[in-house]
Amino acid sequence: MDKAGGTSGETHIESPERDDVLLKRSARGDEEAFTQLYRRNQAQIYRFALRMTGQAWAAEEIVQDVFMTLVREPKKYDPARGSLGAFLYGIARNRVMKHLERRPREFSLETKNSEGDTQVLDVADERTPAHWAEVRERRERVRSAVLSLPPEFRETVVLCELEEMSYEEAAQVLECPIGTVRSRLHRGRALLLAKLEMLRESPKRANALR
Amino acid sequence: MNCEEFAFEGLDLDLDAEVAESAAAREHLRGCPHCAALYESSRTLRADLCELAKLTSDATAPSRVEMRLRQEFRTRHTTDKSRGRVVVASWLLAAAALIVVATSLVLWQRHGVANIAGTRQSPVQPTAVHSVATGPELGGTLIAENDGEQFALIPGAIPGMLDDTTVVRVQMERGSLGALGLSVNEEHANDVVQVDLLLGADGQPQAYRLPQSNN
Repeated sequence: MDKAGGTSGETHIESPERDDVLLKRSARGDEEAFTQLYRRNQAQIYRFALRMTGQAWAAEEIVQDVFMTLVREPKKYDPARGSLGAFLYGIARNRVMKHLERRPREFSLETKNSEGDTQVLDVADERTPAHWAEVRERRERVRSAVLSLPPEFRETVVLCELEEMSYEEAAQVLECPIGTVRSRLHRGRALLLAKLEMLRESPKRANALR
Repeated sequence: MNCEEFAFEGLDLDLDAEVAESAAAREHLRGCPHCAALYESSRTLRADLCELAKLTSDATAPSRVEMRLRQEFRTRHTTDKSRGRVVVASWLLAAAALIVVATSLVLWQRHGVANIAGTRQSPVQPTAVHSVATGPELGGTLIAENDGEQFALIPGAIPGMLDDTTVVRVQMERGSLGALGLSVNEEHANDVVQVDLLLGADGQPQAYRLPQSNN
């Protein structure tokens, strides 16, 4: 992935003109235009909220809040200030921060799909249950470590590492210079490594005490 | 490249790439076990984060969110539309009321209070004299003037039809008045009389008067 510029994967934000036209139609009461806008942007907002909060219900609530703002106040979006995607991320960030302020330490370790069902392992896979247990444990450690990062580092890690945004895109969403994104990401990674090391050590210590 | 530079820039580099920065980073790693360990940890972390990202890469908001939003959208825009319709309807009603009032005022001014009274009780006052004609022979028409004498409605005439009328004076045998539904004294049936007829818009006589000279 080219971190210095350009776009990659699903994080690419649709051309502003197109979103712009849809938003205008939506503001005039065109439900089809609103639905198109929602379907085009909801997944990335949902994933961002899910990865930031670790809770499917909170992510759902945040997505609803974000698009409700579009329904109620479509004129809040100013195309001159950036893409609609970045605008939606901005609203989502505010909602996420409010959520984290309310419940800073509460997060779920469940892995659920979009409809709220817990994910199941592939039974056709020939790897051993011990292997899957290890994979799951590792995943949970990483997830816990990400969720325990301070919000400003967490959002940078989520946008650049999980959403695979370029530094430029992340800077646009976070409304800060690219240099700040780089330094936050650097610091975020260092914190993550430290936390993962700590999480890796703690079960060993617990076992040693038994 | 020193340790600080490697920590800030080297971790993002592809060390297999044939570029100067990558070569410098590789060179630094060979002589620095601390940075080598950091690089290895960083690669593992990247892999773990990639795994975590995959886990939620196809996550989307539940369909109920879309349903709720569309419902809200419909409610909001329906409310706006109905509010708009009410405003338009109010303005239309106000305009209609204004037109009715203005028309009534104009009609009232044109017809005058006297006409209204005349319409209520026959005989009738003609409103306008549009044309005149002359003719001395029997059955011909003579000059008719709107001299203010009152007309009497011919039986069967509708008072409301007297808005657009013409007055004509004709000479006829008194007996011919019977054809208009008026009662005629048989002794004078052959007398020639002058009659002013008030013709409606359809040309039919609506009212009549007998000028003083006949009496």
